[in-house]
Formats: sequence, structure tokens, C-alpha cells
Amino acid sequence: MKESLSLVQRLSAHPDSRCWFVSWSPNGTLLASCGGDKAIRIWGKEGESWVCKSVLQDGHQRTVRKVAWSPCGNYLASASFDATTCIWKKKSDEFESLTVLEGHENEVKCVAWAPSGNLLATCSRDKSVWVWEVDEEDEYECVTVVNSHTQDVKHVVWHPTQELLASASYDNNICVYKEEDDDWECRATLTGHTSTVWSLSFDATGQKLASCSDDRTVKIWRECPAESGQGDVSWKCVCTLSGYHSRTVYDVAWCHLTGALATACGDDAVRVFKEDETADPEQPVFSLAAHMAKAHSQDVNCVAWNPKEAGLLASCSDDGDIAIWRFQEED
Amino acid sequence: MASHFSGVLQLTDLDDFITPSQECVKPVKVEKKQGKSVAKIQIEDDGSYVQVNQDGGRQKLEKAKITLNDCLACSGCITSAESVLITQQSHEELFKVLRRNKASETEHKVVVVSVSPQSRASLAAYYDLSSSETGRRLTSFFKGLGVHHVFDTSFSRTFSLLESQKEFVERFQRREQDSKALPMLTSACPGWICYAEKTHGEFILPYISTTRSPQQMMGSLVKDFFAGQQGLSPQQIYHVAVMPCFDKKLEASRSDFHMNKAETREVDCVITSGEVLKMLEEENVSLNDVKPAPLDTMFSSVHGDDFLRHSGSGSGGYLHHVFINAAKQLFGEEVKELTYKTLRNKDFQEVTLEKDGVVLLCFASAYGFRNIQNLVQKLKRGKSPYHFVEVMACPSGCLNGGGQVKPLPGQNPKELLQKVDELYRADSPSVPEEDTHVAELYQSWLQSVGSERAKELLHTQYHTVEKMTNGLTMKW
Repeated sequence: MKESLSLVQRLSAHPDSRCWFVSWSPNGTLLASCGGDKAIRIWGKEGESWVCKSVLQDGHQRTVRKVAWSPCGNYLASASFDATTCIWKKKSDEFESLTVLEGHENEVKCVAWAPSGNLLATCSRDKSVWVWEVDEEDEYECVTVVNSHTQDVKHVVWHPTQELLASASYDNNICVYKEEDDDWECRATLTGHTSTVWSLSFDATGQKLASCSDDRTVKIWRECPAESGQGDVSWKCVCTLSGYHSRTVYDVAWCHLTGALATACGDDAVRVFKEDETADPEQPVFSLAAHMAKAHSQDVNCVAWNPKEAGLLASCSDDGDIAIWRFQEED
Repeated sequence: MASHFSGVLQLTDLDDFITPSQECVKPVKVEKKQGKSVAKIQIEDDGSYVQVNQDGGRQKLEKAKITLNDCLACSGCITSAESVLITQQSHEELFKVLRRNKASETEHKVVVVSVSPQSRASLAAYYDLSSSETGRRLTSFFKGLGVHHVFDTSFSRTFSLLESQKEFVERFQRREQDSKALPMLTSACPGWICYAEKTHGEFILPYISTTRSPQQMMGSLVKDFFAGQQGLSPQQIYHVAVMPCFDKKLEASRSDFHMNKAETREVDCVITSGEVLKMLEEENVSLNDVKPAPLDTMFSSVHGDDFLRHSGSGSGGYLHHVFINAAKQLFGEEVKELTYKTLRNKDFQEVTLEKDGVVLLCFASAYGFRNIQNLVQKLKRGKSPYHFVEVMACPSGCLNGGGQVKPLPGQNPKELLQKVDELYRADSPSVPEEDTHVAELYQSWLQSVGSERAKELLHTQYHTVEKMTNGLTMKW
């Protein structure tokens, strides 16, 4: 069984700037990208090629670091270094700025929608993680502000099925939050990485969490059920992928259709790992299935699997480009 | 080390209030012998510096040190603002002043300690005593160390409540002419004030009550009235406040509370409930073994030998008192009991006065950063329905302040907070408008100084603070 990663298309998405992040819409037909040029671009397929469908230009005063689609696909949230998070509403092919969430002290590093659709999480260099709630009138209110990290929080991600939030930080830790009483609390701190944790990705069921770090490793964590009904859950590191990346791993993405794990690395490469089916699920084993050494001409910042089309992977880089890849197993 | 300050203040960046910069202007005296030979300096494995002379002799070099005492917010040091504040105002400083008093006749200061009822309740919970018994024993303990007077900030809080009531009625009456008269936001919490000055500046400041907090009311009482009465100059008094949080140290150091002519602060030092516990431990004293002493009634709210409290929240009861007074003054309604409605979470509550289906007054209390956020954002969007909001930076308010005595190992924090709350409420309530002593002071002290000076003594002002965007001061 041989696997390969082949280039489908390269897009000059944010020319003369960096492309920081790409995100597929829930139905897989649109790709949103954002970058150092303060803009967000929406890409769609016309015939066989991906083209730019619209540009969201004046939403932010500084770099747009991440974008996230709401589970229904009608809203887009963008997190910016200008300390705000903008919520955009999709109106046929155009996007309109609905509201701007203020409150963070400085650069917002990430935004993520909860699967339920009415909670939003943001995190920032101000070390805090905020949870927001949206009501029927599209009004956003702060539900909680949690200060569990001691440094810049790089990434937040929601569990695919439970109301559980995870965050990754420059302080080398991962925090897992749950709602308790009428407030959110950090219920578990996952230590193990020896440098900044840049990104997180849950597998399809949410039983496993992948993290990637400046320490050049990817770690897989598994939720351990509570002992004797204690209530508090713990996460254990069950696998560490080391020796594969020669620089910081900036992003990790778990495909919810195939279980493949993609990484974005500071050595300009995109890698795909596959889990060995014969291994003990409590002690997973991953092997390198594909390695595109010069995926980009500079650091790869993000990788994202298309949620509907198996094997379709997008990546973006400091070189300003988006690359679309097909990962397939050949006989 | 985790910060001691409130969550709200931590997110505000203290360094913008007290600015450390990169150059220390203090000349450092180091003992050095004049030598003709050239020496090398080696750095050892442990990081220490060793001078190696030409003849091979080695001397370990002393670290050049500057005590934080010498650094009084000069053009700067690398020490963070937080450390400056915590070291300048500490129980060690109080001990130093008391020691200096014992040692010198000429450099004698009159030491006054003002204890907040929340701190009393916190220590009461620790020692399993009533709040009044704790107060009596604290009086004894402090006086045994050389403190001259021990007062109670519930007394000065009466002034804060009365002034807040008056201020609200005035604001309500001019709400048509002044778009920023309402909602009136309370001013007693320094964590909230500093956050407002830093993050929302000009937009929010006009809404904030100018009434002084109980701590600073006591500052006026002690360093203006009391000083005059005792024939002392303000700097001859060393005024210590015992408070439930660290943010109060920042409040005491505000330039608005610095008496420029006398070159002294109205409150010289704020120590927390936890620091008082440290003092007791350092002196090897348990309050359980201390004999109670009679209370200093001059600036204390007492009935016989027991302390009196105010109704309403454990954070001062501002909402309670302003609401009842406003209902009476503005609508002739006598309100006996307030019905609180919990909104989004237990730290966000609402109280309304309705008559014939019309909402006459809509008040709220918003504690904790998330609720402050939502309140301010609503205000900014013009969607706030409130006339008055009691704002506190700490979830559950002052009884849960960052400087309160921490739970013992194994002790449930929620249960401890409940205990502190019960002890706080066990004291009998007194009505500010019926306090004859306070009324008398309004006559004798405040009338006599004229309305301008009275305003300075009872009210304060706020200033927009600019964000520091200097790359050198950024913490990465």
C-alpha cells in the first residue's frame, strides 16, 4: 500500500504577505483564508479550479490570524492582532460584518465555534481564554474569562461532541475546560511538551487529542475515565511522534473521515501520518504516510482537511500561498 | 509566582499605573579597595562572579543591591510595578515603623490601623470567633505592638453610603440634561476603577460615582480631621488599612490620595487580612489566646462592645442603601426588603422598583470580570437598562477578595466563603442616616471647612490612563 500527496492547485492567496490560516466551510465547498494583509478571502470551486469568490477587506486593523466557520456555515468568525474578533454573516456570496467582539487586552490568536453553534471561544496573548454566548438576536455576551495559562494562548479548540474546550499555550501546557456551576474551570492541565504548544486537533469521536509543538513533536493524548466517580477527568499522553519534523510544528489536523493526521512544519513541509490499525488503541502507533518536503517555499502555518471530501487537504504558508493537495492510497 | 491582584487588575497591566523603566538612577555604593593591578572577572558555574587578581588571589564579588525602599517610582527600575507596590506596603513596613517608634523619641509617629469588616470576618472564620470578638482581640494585639488607635472602616463607609445616596439622587434628577449621569457605577473597588481608567477611559469615567471608598474616606478622617484635632501634622501619622484585597494597595498609592503640601499619603500602607495573619504568626500569637481590649469608638461603628455592620452585600451594601434611599426620595416609596433576581450567573443580580406595571428604578450588581465586560459592552451599545450598578472586580465580592485568609488544606473554599459571609452578617445592622456620630461630624468637620474642601475630602476624580506601547516595557 503506497500513499501519496499530490498537488491539486496552488493559489497566491495573500500576495506580498503571509497566509496564516485556512478553514473549510462545514459543507466543504468553500475555503476561507486570512493573512498578514489584514484580509480574509473566500475561495470556491468554479469548474475544476479554485477561485477567489470574495475578499473581506476592512474588518480588521491588523493581521487576521485565524478564521472559523459556524457549524451551520452561515457565519464566519475572524480573530485578529488588533485585539478584536469579528463575526461575519454570509449573505449569498457576500459576507457582512455583523458585530465586533472586544475585550481582549491584545492580539487575539484564535477563535473557535462550539459544535452546538451558540458558544464561541477566543484566546489571546493576554493569557486568557474567553467563552462567548450568542442569543437569537445575534447578540454576543461574555460567559466567562479563564486565566489558566501563564503565557500567550495560541489555540483553542472545542470537543466534537461534548461541551469541552481545550487550549494550547506558549507556557508549554494544554488546558481542558468544562462548565461547573455557573462558570467554566480548567479541569485538566496536560503537561509534556517542552516548548510552545502551537495547535490542537481532536479526532472524530473526541476520545483522542493531537497537539503539536515548537519542541518538534506531535503528541497524542487520550482521555482516561475518572477513577471511582471522582468527576475529574484526566488526559494521558499515549504517543509522541518525534524525529519526523526538523523544525517547529505549527499545526496539526485530524481528518474526521479517514483518521489521517496532517502536520504543518517550519521546515516548509507538509506531512501525513496514519494510525496503525493493528496497534492497541490505548497505545496507538503512527507511521509517516506522506512527506511533501517543499510543500511551500517558507514555513507552513496551517493544514486543514476538507470535512466532506476524503483526502482533500489545504495548507498555507508564510510565502502567502494556499496549496490544495490530494492524499490518496494507491495500490 | 501567580499574581495576588484581582483578575480584573491582572488583565489591566499594573505597569501602566506605576511605570518601571529601564534605567535606575540610584547610584550604587559598593565597597571596593583601590588597586593598581589588573584583574579578570570569571563567572562561576553557579552564576556568581569571582575576581581573579594577577597574583592568583580570588575574591567573590558582592552583588550590587538597591533596596526597594530607595526606589520610590524614580525614573525606573526593572522591577515590576507589582513588586514595588507589594514591598512598599507590607506588614514588614509596619513592623519597621513600630520599631523606629520604640527606638527614637524624636522620629515618633502616631500609628493608626483601620480594619475593614471583611478582613475582620475573614480572621474571625480562621480563629472560630465572632466578628466583634475578633475586632476586640485585634485591637489588643495591635496596641500591644505599639499601635495607638484601631478604627473600623464601617464607620467611614457610612460616609461613602450617604454620599453615594446623595450623588445618585442628584444624577437621577439631571438625567435629561446629562446623558452620562446614569447609570451611576460604584467607585469603591480599585480593581474596577483601574480597569475602567485603562481600558475604557473617557467613555466610562463620567458614569463612575465620585464618592470616595471607605478606605479613602478614613484617609480623610484620619489625616485631616483627626490630625487637626490631635494637633498633629498629617505626616506625623502612619495610617495603615487592613483590607480584603491587594488592589487596595494600588488605591492608596494614587496621586489623588497624596497630600502634596504635607508630603504624605492619606493611607500610608494597606495590608491584607492574610498579612495580618502572618503578623500574628511571626509574633507567635494566636488570636484565641489574646485578651480582648475595649474598642476605639472614635471612628468605629459600635454599639456597646460590639461592631455594627451595614445591610446589603458583603461588599459594602451600596446597591441596598442607594436603592432604598432613592425609592424614598424620588418616589416616596418605603422599601423594606429587596428582591434580587439572578441573571446570567450568581454574580450578576438585578433589583427593580415597580409601580402599576411601570419600572421606576432598575438597579444591578455586577461582580467579576465577565460581568463587568458585559455591562460595559451593553453600555457602549446603548443597551443598558440600569440606573445604578454596584461593580466589584472579584467574583462573590469583597468577602472573597484576593487578600483574605486562604482556605486550610482540605477546606472547601465555598464553605469557607459561606462561613465568612455568616460571620459578617452576624453583626447587627445600623442605618447610615441614623448615625448621630457621623451626622455630628458632617456638622463640625465638613461644614466648617467649606463646601469646596468638603468635596475634596469626600469625593475624588478619575483619569484616563494611556496604554504603554513602548517595546521595552512589553512582557513577551
